[in-house]
Amino acid sequence: MLKSVESALGFTQPQLVAELRDQHVQVKGTYLLKRADGRADSDGPISEYKIEIFVPVGYPRAEPRLYEVGGRIPRQPDRHVNVGDGSCCVTVWENWLACAQDTSFSAYMSGPVHEYFLGQFIVENGGQWPFGERAHYLEGMEEAYADALKGEMPIQDVRYALRLLTREWPKGHWLCPCGSGLKVRQCHRDELMNLHNRIHPWLARQMQHRLGPKKQPK
Amino acid sequence: MRLKEAIEQWTHDEVLEAAADALDIPPSLYEEAKVRYRSIGNWLDRENSSLTGYDPRISPQGSFLLGTVIRPLTEADEYDIDLVCRLEATKQAFSQKELKDAVGTELKLYVKANNMNNPLEEGRRCWILNYANSARFHMDVLPALPDAATYRRKLIEAGSWPGTIGDLVDSALAITDNTLPKYETRTDDWPVSNPFGYAEWFRSRMAGQLDRLLTERQRLTASVDPIPHDQVKTPLQRAVQLLKRHRDSMFADAPEDKPISIIITTLAARAYQNEHSLSAALRTLLTNMDKFIENRNGVTWVVNPANPMENFADKWKEAPQRQKNFNAWLEQANRDFGAYISGSAARSVPDILRKRLGESLVSSLLGVAAPAVRTNTGSNLARAHAEVKVINEQGGAKSKPWAMRNDARKG
Repeated sequence: MLKSVESALGFTQPQLVAELRDQHVQVKGTYLLKRADGRADSDGPISEYKIEIFVPVGYPRAEPRLYEVGGRIPRQPDRHVNVGDGSCCVTVWENWLACAQDTSFSAYMSGPVHEYFLGQFIVENGGQWPFGERAHYLEGMEEAYADALKGEMPIQDVRYALRLLTREWPKGHWLCPCGSGLKVRQCHRDELMNLHNRIHPWLARQMQHRLGPKKQPK
Repeated sequence: MRLKEAIEQWTHDEVLEAAADALDIPPSLYEEAKVRYRSIGNWLDRENSSLTGYDPRISPQGSFLLGTVIRPLTEADEYDIDLVCRLEATKQAFSQKELKDAVGTELKLYVKANNMNNPLEEGRRCWILNYANSARFHMDVLPALPDAATYRRKLIEAGSWPGTIGDLVDSALAITDNTLPKYETRTDDWPVSNPFGYAEWFRSRMAGQLDRLLTERQRLTASVDPIPHDQVKTPLQRAVQLLKRHRDSMFADAPEDKPISIIITTLAARAYQNEHSLSAALRTLLTNMDKFIENRNGVTWVVNPANPMENFADKWKEAPQRQKNFNAWLEQANRDFGAYISGSAARSVPDILRKRLGESLVSSLLGVAAPAVRTNTGSNLARAHAEVKVINEQGGAKSKPWAMRNDARKG
């Protein structure tokens, strides 16, 4: 784990240093906001942020915790920083795992982290979030999971679809999650198989666990 | 190479190319070395030379042939010019010792005829010609015989033929080694080497850029004759020069521990993807070269692309510290060049890289350390928006920010 983190940082983020600590790799230093394609920019980085990242040894199944420690980003939900522990809410983790072709630490840094700080810089200077933003809390998570599941087929009920996907093999006699009322084998059988290949049972279980049961209206 | 007058117009590539140019052997010294090794060749082939019947040829090998020579770290150090003295003969005509001595005899006469003060020195495989201090170089002359047939046979026996070697085998050589038990015996069993095959492979790794640069030079000079390869330098050659200087500087206090040039050059060439830009080439080389270090049954290999039986890292097993030194150097080089290419404006070379390349060298190009100049927020905001545009053009963002309550983080 340490080696893959170090090799992701060395050249592209030379002011970040990684150390192995107990059950995680700790990354500390200055994050340079610059071109994601790695090409040299004559004017240097766009901006800098002091950060710490705790990368669990279970990465990528377990999400890293990223903190902006320079006091530059206000700790408030509208700036996508968790009020409780001050961690940065870079993305809904399982959505990224489900949609990204590459979930290496290097891809995390050049993707979600880069996009997060790019957005923070623009918002700090009076702009809007350039790539949109999720709703807060559970609503945002549901929205992100729904986005992660769509593509192969329409999904009417995210929680039901996740139940199906937690199985080692999609059951043909279950009702299709598209909401047609037909059984899977009569409806989107192939599409569900493709979805199953993209969202493995462990990921579906993780999403299901985080989502929890649907809250009934009072 | 001269940098533009307007400092704000500099690019990273221009600064790095200027630095590599400043590290290169000065053209006058390069030409002087050519004159001298050609004169050795003329001497060996003169009418009353004992070697005339064997059509002796003197050719450069190593960094001089590859175009990756760099200045020594200090003024007191000398350039090390490696030469091959190839005779058209077979191993039936000579033992290793006989060949070595035959070449040595003529070189001693050369030293005497040219009133050279320093005597010829014998090395394990070569003869060493030491010129006067003012020359700033010495020449290592490696006696050799053509031996493609034995080379091919050994590759077949090792199961490595034809592999990726192909035509590179045609220039293989049999060389001498005075530590070997059969040194004085007439035998077919000589050590083999293939420096010209290696050079051909190295050139093939940068063929695209070499062709482009030669065509450009021909156009600029309106020359009708082909431009010699040594008139241009590709980003690969420049990158290897910068990396070697970084290595020399990092191990200045313990040069015997430094990673050897052939390992750096080979891994760099294998990683190179014909980048046009020097900064892009350095990025590719530094972030990928270690992927070409192999593990074969617990033994670390950096295979010679011109000889699959040869492991340039063969000393790493008996001296593991050498591998650690290589890894430490690579990690440091990533950070030091990254600090400039990824982390600084083109006009602000970070202190650490200035130190590695040579403070006086960098200062002579750029002046004294320029303060880190911050671009204004407006222009940085424009750059940020430009970066958003690029991301959107490449398929859109991979993520959207979000925020959760304390208790919503589970798992």
